[in-house]
Amino acid sequence: MKERTYESGVHFYGILWDIAALLLFLMLPVAICLHLGVWPEARYVFEGLLPVALLFYPTSVIEVFTYTPLLGAGGTYLSFVTGNITNLKLPCGLNAMENAGVRANSEEGEVISTIAIATSSIVTTLIIAVGVVAFSPVLPYLTDDSSVFAPAFDQVVPALFGALGISYFMKHWKLAFVPIAAIVILLLFNGTLSTGVLIPVGVVISMLSAHLMYKKGWVGQ
Amino acid sequence: MDFKSDGFMYALGFLVVAFVVAQSVFFLVRAWKRAKALGIDTSSLKKTVSSSALFTVAPALAILATVLTLSGALGLVLPWIRLTVIGAITYEVPAAEAAIDAFGSAAGLSQEVTDPEMFSTVAWVMTLGSIMPLILVPFLLKKIQKGMSKAVAKNGKWADVMSAAAFIGLIAAFIGRAIAGKGEESIIGDGAGVMSLCALVSSMIFMLILQSIANRFNIKWLQPFAMPFSMLLAMGVVMILSQVLPPDIALFEWRG
Repeated sequence: MKERTYESGVHFYGILWDIAALLLFLMLPVAICLHLGVWPEARYVFEGLLPVALLFYPTSVIEVFTYTPLLGAGGTYLSFVTGNITNLKLPCGLNAMENAGVRANSEEGEVISTIAIATSSIVTTLIIAVGVVAFSPVLPYLTDDSSVFAPAFDQVVPALFGALGISYFMKHWKLAFVPIAAIVILLLFNGTLSTGVLIPVGVVISMLSAHLMYKKGWVGQ
Repeated sequence: MDFKSDGFMYALGFLVVAFVVAQSVFFLVRAWKRAKALGIDTSSLKKTVSSSALFTVAPALAILATVLTLSGALGLVLPWIRLTVIGAITYEVPAAEAAIDAFGSAAGLSQEVTDPEMFSTVAWVMTLGSIMPLILVPFLLKKIQKGMSKAVAKNGKWADVMSAAAFIGLIAAFIGRAIAGKGEESIIGDGAGVMSLCALVSSMIFMLILQSIANRFNIKWLQPFAMPFSMLLAMGVVMILSQVLPPDIALFEWRG
């Protein structure tokens, strides 16, 4: 029998883990219902699911297309199981590839991104688990609105993307101007647009303008 | 005992944790072996692990804070499970609200859920609403990657520019929100304002300073930690400013 290459192995095991995750996650509400001895009426589930599905099913299609090329194969199989992609897994993978000096679409990029995302998944899972079990009595005080830490936790996302962004902007400042300006202008018209909408828009605008700049010979020479 | 946080629920929580850790370790070990075969040295792999771990701490604490926010209504365990797999606050909160809404309860997540049927409905909606990517990924991933590698083989320079542009587009969405995004009128800290801009700008400045220190004095170990340190330092700045600035300035959000 032919030996499996690393790449084909990632897909083979990735799909197995993905299906296992799907079954496990579906089993959870079943287990809760069996344990509590109640089954919700289907119409309540559908009524609750409808607005969520209308918003999140199309978004998840866009997410898969947008993030997959950035995460790599191993990173994708891991990230879509553990979630928190935009605020954690993706920046973590990008940071690791940047530090290791490897290209995202190379095999070196693939393994470095997988190692970073796997580490991040393990650390996140353990922090949440330890936090829930050990610190549940004191944690409300830390994250309560009146705590001194609360304002800092509110600003995790800008703090994260500021540091990540600046190293990209220094290298590719020509590419950065158009998407940032476009997003800010969009938000001036409709400030409530969520990042779920802004990310695909930003990615498409950024790639279009980069393509034009490349054709003009302004970048990538 | 509260049915939302009994021993059975905790057992489910630990089962999920075991699954996620097992999957991550499995991929980590394979990637590590492959990296060695590709000739990447152990020290740079170790650095990848330690810098990723440090990088993860602050966002993970923020996720933990989300678990706590939801625990008032749903107990600790269901939010813990949901935020460990697939979950993100942007999804879990509307899903739970929609499920409670279906019962005609206007209170949403501000009230504790005491009806087991309502609780199980919330569990179903949160689960069914979030599993779509797991169904899509096995079908789409290989195809997307094939398209990518074709483009790379055809024109490597163009593909590099496009991949940088995609990252920048993503980052621009978050930076744009920190500059001009609108939050909920009643919530402090979610819209663009003094604090979001302080966090953004100070983390940029820290990053520049730390990177130039690492380069000038050739401190190799600092390089991978520049980003997590900058993030934590910027959060420290926000914490201090929110204490010393007058509240009208510190809490000012220009878009609400």
